[in-house]
Amino acid sequence: MLSSLIFIPLLGSLLVILLPDSLKNSYKWITLAVCSLELLVCGAIYVAFDPTQADYQLLERADWISLTLGSLGVVSIDYLVGIDGISLPLVLLTGVVMLVGAISSWTIDKRLKAYYALYLLLTATIIGCFIALDFFLFFLFFEFMLLPMYFLIGLWGGPRREYASIKFFLYTLAGSVLILLVMISLYISVMDPVETAMNIGLISDRSEATDDLIRQVQFLLADFKIQPQQLVHTFDLRYMSHGGNYLPNSFLSPTGEIVVLGIPSRMLAFLCVFLGFAVKLPVVPFHTWLPDAHVEAPTPVSVVLAGVLLKIGGYGFLRIGWGLFPDGAAEYALLLAGLGVISIVYGGFNALAQSDLKKMIAYSSVSHMGFVLLGIASLTAEGINGAVYQMASHGVLSAMLFLLTGVIYDRTHDRRIDNYRGLASAMPGYTALTAIAFFASLGLPGFSGFIGELFTLMGSFQSLWLPGWMTAIATLGIILAAAYFLWTLQRMFFGPLWSRTETAGQLTDLDARERLMLIPLAALALLLGLFPNVLFNLTNSTVAQWIQRFSVE
Amino acid sequence: MLDENTVRNLLWLLLLLPFLSGSISLLAGRRINGWVGSVAALLTLAGLGLSVFVALQTGTDVLTLQTNWLVIPSRSVAITFRIDALTLLMLTVVHFIALLVQVYSISYLHDERARYRYFGFLSLFIGSMLGIVLAGNLIVLYAFWELVGLCSYLLIGFWFRKPAAARAAKKAFIMNRIGDAGFLLGIFLLLFQSGTTELAELPDLFVSDGRLATLTGLCLFCGCIGKSAQFPLTTWLPDAMEGPTPVSALIHAATMVAAGIFLLARIHFLLTPDALLLITGIGTITMLMAAYSALYQTDIKKVLAYSTVSQLGLMVVGMGTGTVNGALFHLTTHAFFKAGLFLAAGSVIHGVHTQDMRQMGGLRKAMPITFIGWAVCAAALAGIPLFSGFLSKETILTGAFGWAGQQGGLAYLVPVLAVLSSGLTACYMARQGRLVFFGTNRAPETSAVSVHESGPLLTGPVVMLAVLSIGFVFAGNPFSAEHSWFFRLFPAVGAGDEHLWIAVLSVSVVAVGLWLGWRMPVLTESTTMSRLSEHNWYLDGIYNRLIVRPFLRLAYLSYGFDHSVIDRLVDLVAIGNVVLAHMISWIDRTLVDGLVNGASWLAHRLGNLTRSVQNGRVQSYIASAVVGLLLILWFLI
Repeated sequence: MLSSLIFIPLLGSLLVILLPDSLKNSYKWITLAVCSLELLVCGAIYVAFDPTQADYQLLERADWISLTLGSLGVVSIDYLVGIDGISLPLVLLTGVVMLVGAISSWTIDKRLKAYYALYLLLTATIIGCFIALDFFLFFLFFEFMLLPMYFLIGLWGGPRREYASIKFFLYTLAGSVLILLVMISLYISVMDPVETAMNIGLISDRSEATDDLIRQVQFLLADFKIQPQQLVHTFDLRYMSHGGNYLPNSFLSPTGEIVVLGIPSRMLAFLCVFLGFAVKLPVVPFHTWLPDAHVEAPTPVSVVLAGVLLKIGGYGFLRIGWGLFPDGAAEYALLLAGLGVISIVYGGFNALAQSDLKKMIAYSSVSHMGFVLLGIASLTAEGINGAVYQMASHGVLSAMLFLLTGVIYDRTHDRRIDNYRGLASAMPGYTALTAIAFFASLGLPGFSGFIGELFTLMGSFQSLWLPGWMTAIATLGIILAAAYFLWTLQRMFFGPLWSRTETAGQLTDLDARERLMLIPLAALALLLGLFPNVLFNLTNSTVAQWIQRFSVE
Repeated sequence: MLDENTVRNLLWLLLLLPFLSGSISLLAGRRINGWVGSVAALLTLAGLGLSVFVALQTGTDVLTLQTNWLVIPSRSVAITFRIDALTLLMLTVVHFIALLVQVYSISYLHDERARYRYFGFLSLFIGSMLGIVLAGNLIVLYAFWELVGLCSYLLIGFWFRKPAAARAAKKAFIMNRIGDAGFLLGIFLLLFQSGTTELAELPDLFVSDGRLATLTGLCLFCGCIGKSAQFPLTTWLPDAMEGPTPVSALIHAATMVAAGIFLLARIHFLLTPDALLLITGIGTITMLMAAYSALYQTDIKKVLAYSTVSQLGLMVVGMGTGTVNGALFHLTTHAFFKAGLFLAAGSVIHGVHTQDMRQMGGLRKAMPITFIGWAVCAAALAGIPLFSGFLSKETILTGAFGWAGQQGGLAYLVPVLAVLSSGLTACYMARQGRLVFFGTNRAPETSAVSVHESGPLLTGPVVMLAVLSIGFVFAGNPFSAEHSWFFRLFPAVGAGDEHLWIAVLSVSVVAVGLWLGWRMPVLTESTTMSRLSEHNWYLDGIYNRLIVRPFLRLAYLSYGFDHSVIDRLVDLVAIGNVVLAHMISWIDRTLVDGLVNGASWLAHRLGNLTRSVQNGRVQSYIASAVVGLLLILWFLI
């Protein structure tokens, strides 16, 4: 079932490519159908998911690449997908945001075939990232995502699109080089206990593997009883997160004492992974690609970028950074939380200074994603649950915010805040939804943003790793959020109607298509805010198990 | 006696009714303009009936009802309702005043085109306020606290086409947010120390001792500073008068701003003596500064706004000096007489179409009912015996003198300043009465408005509130609050005994204040003293210069930094890479390629050389072979 999430959009993309240009009006319907189907499958997965279980579920696995390298052992790369409580909310979010983005894409009017093919390709790679449990597979999706994104910004973007798309591409690529290095070092250091058992003749088939057997193999490994050429190396994240599977004296072994550049190798690896994903989240000071990318990207691409793409950064922190290197996470908790707080406050101040509506929202994203980092770095159940919650919440709300920006841009091709006044008189529906989105984003109780911020802040305050004043500084972020959102509301929407660029009749209220996108998102934010257990029920078990590795000895 | 489940369901009904009616009227739009007000008022009446019913059923027992809201491994947050005497009192007061204000609004906003929006917001406000009152833990209280802030924002900015209204709304929300950030930290501190925010569990789990406890209390008090417009977050409340007048009566006089006092009553048990001292100080400063600011205002509503701030300061002083129930008593009497004053002011504004008191005068003849209603409420506010305000104010003053007696020394400053500010109160109210209702009409010749009394929908609520401001309503003996029914419900735990001299002192100060106020000229010449009052101690200017502008400058600075340092660095790295690439390509072309070219050139030359060697002479072949062999041998050996 999970695999279909990847293959449905891939096939859709292929279909769009194969259909002749004369049918180009059908592309948007195909995309819409594919994304709807995708959301339906997401719903089915939500139903099939057992929230009481902490482990990975709905696993699907196939041998993919297997090479024998003599004394270097055996290379094994699997096609392995599965979800747990951390990835499921993000998968569901992706389903929603991609569908909304598909509807919002209807305003695109050039090179339709390429656009929709790339859009569907993007959908497949994003979903792939969230469900891949093999590091190699994850990395493949992670890198491949850049390609459609690069073209979507670079071909359909605004005036400085080339600069923005190259900047986005290189920034992320630089980050992923670090991830690649860590991936290879991990690969050298970790074995697949099941396949190794098969290799040394303990069992003959995968299905015979038991926990006892795995433990037995791990003991053999620790006692140097397995020949190097019999070892099966793996990219499987499940095995990578277990210390027993690390080769003794290997580069990243938890018991090893290898020091590189004066830093223990595992700490260095953690920092590399952190930097790699910090670009994606983004964390200040690695964020400057984001405002440019948003300003130049067309509305649907902004929606996808803010709605789901940034979450891959937070997901990567959890799954790979914190998941594989809990020791590093504990070691650098203070530094990471500090960066989170800086992102919150710095992003807030920058948002306050913007005159372009879209850039303001882009910087507010930086601020809101700071809460995610702060929550994760707190290493508490509140913080991590809150971080996942905040990601889902921000996904919904930022999608809404960028759609709203698109509404005014579509009408007048002008997004400067100062160029409008009193829009409420001309566009009451638009104003109402903008006000809802703004208040939800600034953390008004009843909407999802409140829960995310409350829990990440609560987590950071309770955390044994972080001092209390850090949370105190972070609360400056919620004051700043009120300031930049309400100031914008006051300047653009209230007062007597006036617009610098409007030619008569341009400022029409929302049409049916726009309402179809915005109202469900607002309802979703409200639903999540009123019934937070809908989401916490999914994340609880996984986070509870997850947090145990940080419990203080 | 009802069982718990029934009570729980009734409370949910009570809470959700206004939210539902509010949402429905907002969604329904203009088509329901005609009857939305009446229906909303009827629903509030039903709510009032329901709360009285619950009150009669539960009596004065404390009842805590929990419903799980969200659960994560280490923490669960419940939606808890707490029913005690305070809850029931507030439920009744909020419903009652909301009902009167809604009835009043039906007439007051008769020509407004967006009445559905107005009544929708008002209903949402009532719901949120009930949430605060019912909340049994601080997280739930905080959630509704913020919602009340939203409703206040929406209602202040109701006439959003007016730039001043939009500005005031934003200011109110942001200043409240500043207080709320402190409140939130206080909640975290509570959780950190005792692991709960449940009001029912806190008394057992929270150790109210030490500096951390003081800090916790003060952080929580920040919420009160924001909502109840205490110093230094006072300036939003006068600006909030940009909203419709009935809104000012309900939200910015009787209920929402009283929520801060309500919060203090809820958390009073965990405040340490140090915290209480600071709270008293803040209350005293607020009370005095605002009373002085009210003195020279020319806008009829602004006088009342500053008066509200000042009275809230007095209540905070009551809380700080330990007269908790005295402060709550004043909250209740104040809710009635201040709402009455605002509604009377609204009736005046409705009649003369201006808020400037300098253009009024002599209105007592044209608007007799409004005048009488106003006069009774004003007498209550000024603290004249026989009226409700006298009773509650005396209780706080008595408590404050008793407290000062225990503390000794400088502490006497607090009750003395309280007496002084009650004199100021009498002064500005006398001035208002003189300017609005006495003398001759000073309306400019051009405005040919024939002033007449407002209709019964406007005067009715004023009269009702005036009746409730008479002393007999609260106590059989209107000179002593001791035997008031209020203190039978809320036993007085103040520090002081009643002394006759306190009453005599305050009444004489009030009398002097009244006389001075009556004598204040209509057009005061501008002096430093009057400008200080008019501009509210220049707080807005100071905040603008010291906080708002530096913040904005910091924002622009950080954007400049982002743009020209961080981003520039990124670009430089990129440019550096390109330059490096060009250098490498140059090296590639000149050096590496050069080497290859050089090698081939060398080979060519060597070839020429060897060609010249291979010249066909056998001797030289042999000679070179021998030389070569010798060389190899030498090399090997």
